[in-house]
Amino acid sequence: MPDLKPFIVSGIALGGVFSLSGVGMTVLYQATGVLNLAYGAIGATGALVGWELIGNGMSNWLAYAIAIGFAAALSTLYGVVFGPLLAGRDALVKAMATLGFALILLGACFWHWSDDPRVLDLPTTAETYDVGGLRVNLTQVLALVFAAVLTAGTALFLRKARTGVALRSLAEDREISAILGIRVRRVEATAWLVSGLICGLSGLLLANLVRLEAGTLTFLVIASLAACTVGRFRSLALTLAGGLAIGIIEAVATPFQTVSPYRSAAPFLVAILVLLALGWRKTIVISEQRR
Amino acid sequence: MSAGVEPGALAPRALLARPRALAASLRAELFAGVFCLLVLLVIPPIANAFWLKACIAAVIAAISAGGGGLLYGRVGMVSLCQMSLVGVGGWICLRLGLGTSLPFPVLLVISGAVTALVGVFVGIPALRMTGLYFALVTLMAAGAFEVVFQTTGFPNGGAGPLGLISGFQARATMRRPAMAHSDAAFFRYAVVVAAIVFLLALLHLRTRPGRAWTAIRQSEAAALSCGVNVTLYRLWAFALASFGSGIAGALYVASVGSLDWGTVSARQSIVLFAAILMGGAYSLLGAVLAGALLELMPALFDTLNLSGNVVLILFGIGIVQVLATAPAGMAGQMKDGAMALRALALRKAARA
Repeated sequence: MPDLKPFIVSGIALGGVFSLSGVGMTVLYQATGVLNLAYGAIGATGALVGWELIGNGMSNWLAYAIAIGFAAALSTLYGVVFGPLLAGRDALVKAMATLGFALILLGACFWHWSDDPRVLDLPTTAETYDVGGLRVNLTQVLALVFAAVLTAGTALFLRKARTGVALRSLAEDREISAILGIRVRRVEATAWLVSGLICGLSGLLLANLVRLEAGTLTFLVIASLAACTVGRFRSLALTLAGGLAIGIIEAVATPFQTVSPYRSAAPFLVAILVLLALGWRKTIVISEQRR
Repeated sequence: MSAGVEPGALAPRALLARPRALAASLRAELFAGVFCLLVLLVIPPIANAFWLKACIAAVIAAISAGGGGLLYGRVGMVSLCQMSLVGVGGWICLRLGLGTSLPFPVLLVISGAVTALVGVFVGIPALRMTGLYFALVTLMAAGAFEVVFQTTGFPNGGAGPLGLISGFQARATMRRPAMAHSDAAFFRYAVVVAAIVFLLALLHLRTRPGRAWTAIRQSEAAALSCGVNVTLYRLWAFALASFGSGIAGALYVASVGSLDWGTVSARQSIVLFAAILMGGAYSLLGAVLAGALLELMPALFDTLNLSGNVVLILFGIGIVQVLATAPAGMAGQMKDGAMALRALALRKAARA
């Protein structure tokens, strides 16, 4: 039996980022009914912009800020332009449209930056601590801390803040919220902005923890999607737990030779098992008729 | 309500009308299909080697697009793992083709049948859920298939269950059917196979399954209350689409000789879905157009020395545009255009 502890540490860090983007996607889905499948592509574009700026000699922290801001801007732009256009449509159609956005961003990234794998060096990775004989770096700690803090913070925000309550009412019924005087478009834009900020942050972390390549990062959205599925696109706490579990399973499989090459299939297997468990009890789920 | 077509909400005009109109629309489709095939038969003598290869690829892509289009346009399901199933069909055809001396048509049928089984296996977890969940599960399945294909590779003539060669042996390539060795002959062979698969789909659409699918797409609840076995018919549609994908995979490996995981990646499945939307999901003509978009457009960009990534961007724009404004895709726009022309001609004739 190999020593699994180091793998668990890296698994928790990776899982933390999966949870982070899972939470961002769940909040957006709850508020606007859009399951943003372009989440990975937006994060990747932000991270690549940051990488380019650092290469051009910009100071690191400013570049990270711009990277996150760029991701948020992309997300908000899409939300403001296509959100109202597709607002009355089925959740499936909304999700498929974001897939188109993902292809556009992916093509643009490949075009401008090629698909060479790069690694974004965050200064926090060099900062290491010794925890009970394990080497843990600051990026890994940050990944977990961000995941936990943002999950709790978002949950609190949705419960207490005025905009948060407005978001929840939008999730319930867009038309009635509008009648009650909630500025639907502004609140939706806020949701796109917040989820874009989270997206930019997780893009930067993934570019460091995995690698900085548009294709890889775009399809890591599937892992976050798996985390959302565990949370049934509703519960933020379960999304956090799901993301962590997926990250740990994936990392712990690394030292075992027979399953190691297949470990990146872990998110799909977890999600499919959860879906099976969820779906088995119901005979049929008729798509929600929201209006 | 919005003007677009939702899976499960709105139907193209022809299907909402009386049964006779339904039959007429299907007949029109049949004519469109036959016309397309005739055009395709004329291509080999006039196309050069490069374009002929691209045309073969387009015909094969049209088969998988037909399956995906049937799922989206007729049943209201989005499958994002069609290319993975093409990979499954290709794997089986390579394994059997290199390991046995079965005749090619038998290989085609076996590849299609086994892929249909695999498709059923993938589809079962998701079929009891809503459309969005089905799309997500198939997307995740595409990701999982990609990991497996990337790790195990495709058979290349070795022994053992995976059919992989070890060391520096020469790689074997898949043979073509005896009667279709040249590119021109293989093109015709592919067109005939595509026609048979399309006819099979038409046969389904004109009989009981087609009516059940229409009912399901209009309203799952209503279909259920009419006694339509929703799960069975959705599974049936997915199996049929998987069968087509398997056939496409077998044809692909015969045309190229081998298969690479990048050809059947999750990204390619999404691109295929984009092409289906852009071509038009409601008709077989749309599938042919989707095949042409998928294979001829990159070839065109290649000859113009433009980056292939532009194609990716165009497909992305295509998805958003079709979903937002033109639900019936290019085939629908062509049909509308043709009807407008006919109306114009009739008005002129009446005035004369």
